[in-house]
Amino acid sequence: MAFEPRIIAYLCTWCSYTGADTAGIARLKSPANIRDIRVPCSGRVSPELVMRTFDQGADGVLILGCHIGECHYETGNHRAAKRLPILRALMGYAGLEPERLRLDWVSASEGERFSRIATEFVDTVRALGPVRWRVPGDEIPALTQQFAAICGDVPLGEYDCAAKTDAIRAKAKELLTSGAVGYVVGYEVGPRGRTRPSFANTPEEADKLVWNPDCTYNLTTYLGKKRRPAVKGIEQPKPVAVVVKPCDSRAINVLLTENQFPREQVYIIGVTCEGTRHDHGALQVRCQTCNDRVPIVYDTLIGEPPAPVPEHPTPVALKIAELEKETPAERMEFWLSQFDRCIRCYACRQACPMCNCPVCLYERDDSLWIGMGVNMNEKRAFHLGRAYHMAGRCIGCNECERACPMNIPISLLNMKMAQEIEAAFGHRAGMEPVPSPVVTILSGEYKEG
Amino acid sequence: MNLITQAQLAEWLDGLARQRTLIAPHEVAGVLLYRPVESSQKIAWGFGRTVMSVKEAFFPPTERLLTIEKSDGGIKLIENLPEGEQVLFGVRPCDARGVRILDALFLDKEPVDPYYARRRANTALVGLACKEMGPTCFCTSVGGAPDEASDMDVMLYEVEGGYAVETVTEKGKALLQTINLEEQTVEKPIVNRQSPALSVAEGSIENQKSPIPNPQFISWPAHFTSEYWPRVSERCLSCRACTYVCPTCRCFIIRDEVLPYTSGEPAAGAFERIRCWDSCEGENYRRIAGGHRQRAEKSERLRNRFFCKFYYYPEQYGLGAASACTGCGRCVDICPVNVDITEVLTDLAR
Repeated sequence: MAFEPRIIAYLCTWCSYTGADTAGIARLKSPANIRDIRVPCSGRVSPELVMRTFDQGADGVLILGCHIGECHYETGNHRAAKRLPILRALMGYAGLEPERLRLDWVSASEGERFSRIATEFVDTVRALGPVRWRVPGDEIPALTQQFAAICGDVPLGEYDCAAKTDAIRAKAKELLTSGAVGYVVGYEVGPRGRTRPSFANTPEEADKLVWNPDCTYNLTTYLGKKRRPAVKGIEQPKPVAVVVKPCDSRAINVLLTENQFPREQVYIIGVTCEGTRHDHGALQVRCQTCNDRVPIVYDTLIGEPPAPVPEHPTPVALKIAELEKETPAERMEFWLSQFDRCIRCYACRQACPMCNCPVCLYERDDSLWIGMGVNMNEKRAFHLGRAYHMAGRCIGCNECERACPMNIPISLLNMKMAQEIEAAFGHRAGMEPVPSPVVTILSGEYKEG
Repeated sequence: MNLITQAQLAEWLDGLARQRTLIAPHEVAGVLLYRPVESSQKIAWGFGRTVMSVKEAFFPPTERLLTIEKSDGGIKLIENLPEGEQVLFGVRPCDARGVRILDALFLDKEPVDPYYARRRANTALVGLACKEMGPTCFCTSVGGAPDEASDMDVMLYEVEGGYAVETVTEKGKALLQTINLEEQTVEKPIVNRQSPALSVAEGSIENQKSPIPNPQFISWPAHFTSEYWPRVSERCLSCRACTYVCPTCRCFIIRDEVLPYTSGEPAAGAFERIRCWDSCEGENYRRIAGGHRQRAEKSERLRNRFFCKFYYYPEQYGLGAASACTGCGRCVDICPVNVDITEVLTDLAR
């Protein structure tokens, strides 16, 4: 029997759902492969829903909404128009043929247009053949692609940390003595000689704070989970001071635009940055080409701006370009080989300042977005879901990848999303206090195509 | 003891791999893991400590306990007991001791866990003594040793020209029957039982002391309300890495899940009952009906991890003076923010 694809179509109730009816009344032919699901708006079709549809075995997903400017809710379809191309890029990057996901517009009167788009789409998917997305539970895929997260071997130049350490201690002491802040989040060196996050609660404790090339931790992750927006009638705790590198300061901008805490609740001790080290002593890859060496937002600035570094593509960007040249099947194998190692310890999520949902979507036991098992489909759904949620929000501190015990190259996902967002919207997360274009409806213009 | 050369060992392992599943240290993308290998060539010889312990081979991260199917108006339960024999090669003494600690829960007390029991009975442990202790190892401080053979079936010690072989159990003896070992007396090598001195920041002399102090069992309850826990847990991220790499963390959670579509047709109302690892460090740790969480604060969860290792578990399962920590040091190295069990023990003993 010839292959007949199973297509799930999400149809907006105000336009394309009626459009499908119009096609029927006009006795226009539409393929029987399409299973309609009526939704209140194309903006309702969340990327998680689309991913879930593919995870469940759909050969193609068609989303039809109202024409731009005709949305019943004014901007619902703007959401769809911004989100779905990004999702398409992500799923294509993970190994799905991007043609299997299509977004288009059909009004209630356009029966002929509905029939044409549906037929076209079914023909496209039929030509692609059965989908290879869901990994059957009893089949262990051949995982041949070994790839460890890129570490880099560029040595780190010597620079003076003592002056910065002294300045941080002095500032922390001043803030704690005056009572301007409750505590200071900075860095210390533990008994094993390892640098780590530190909390100074008293002026005396400020003396343990340090600055050195191992200050890789993004301390803003301790802010979002502790600070909550002001609630009337509840007394606010004392502000917190936090030591930030330039990349971390971008995270503060994102957290501020997402109302994770009011600006006056955080005192920002900005430190200029010469780059941080990897475990084995080399300069971290993300720092090799970084030219954002002065914090973007701060209350106090410590250090002199370092000399700029020459522009050149990072190994991460080169690997992304290499992956993009491969076939979807090759990319799929690459990513399954990586996700295979995941143990769902969630160190990536927990280290991330942007992962600040009270309960992670992928860990709620009252929802069925993904199962609880440490299986391939679940692991991939988590990683791709997280990558999508990072789109336009990830500031590239790469703490997720550093925290991963299994060397999963998470930066290859996050940086790909950052590239897509920058190309589509000219947006770089946290450079200005502007929310991600894909989580809002008011910023970022829709581009045709 | 007899001597086995490297070539003989490889041949023996290849022979074993043909009959059953051989699980051995294997490097995947720079991560050292115990994985099934087809031949001895895939083994990462000269391996150090693997990222995950051998716990996975007995108590996998996810396993299906039951399949639940609807049939003729009734419900059919199909038990999924693990099948097949396996040999674990390259087990370090700390991990083998971890298996003994898991036994206390899964095997030694009723009810016996049939899944664990089946795997335990069908698995042989071929140990490999450590030549020296690693920078974060502290097995000697918690009652173990880098050349402790008592929890193995066969124990190997690296010597000049190969390995000295010690047969520990009957199961081990049976395994070794496939190989003719030369009658040659080899001395068991002497291993340095001192953990390397910690690289110490100025002013913390306590940490130069080796072994790591191990607070008395009876001293633990006094620490329960200590102000120490909120302080030490400030930087904890509430990830689960420490508990998942631990050879003795054994919390699990069971849930019924709908089976997915298979080969184009929906499985007619089939479910599976799966058991997955759980972790006391997770934010939703033991959420119960009504949404209450007994360990809502991360300080309480981190405290739970240490109390479980050194107080609750020994108390419940009668480990005597021994703790449920084997001193492998994995959690020390895996923690993304350097929460260090040896430091906690040192601080509590102070």
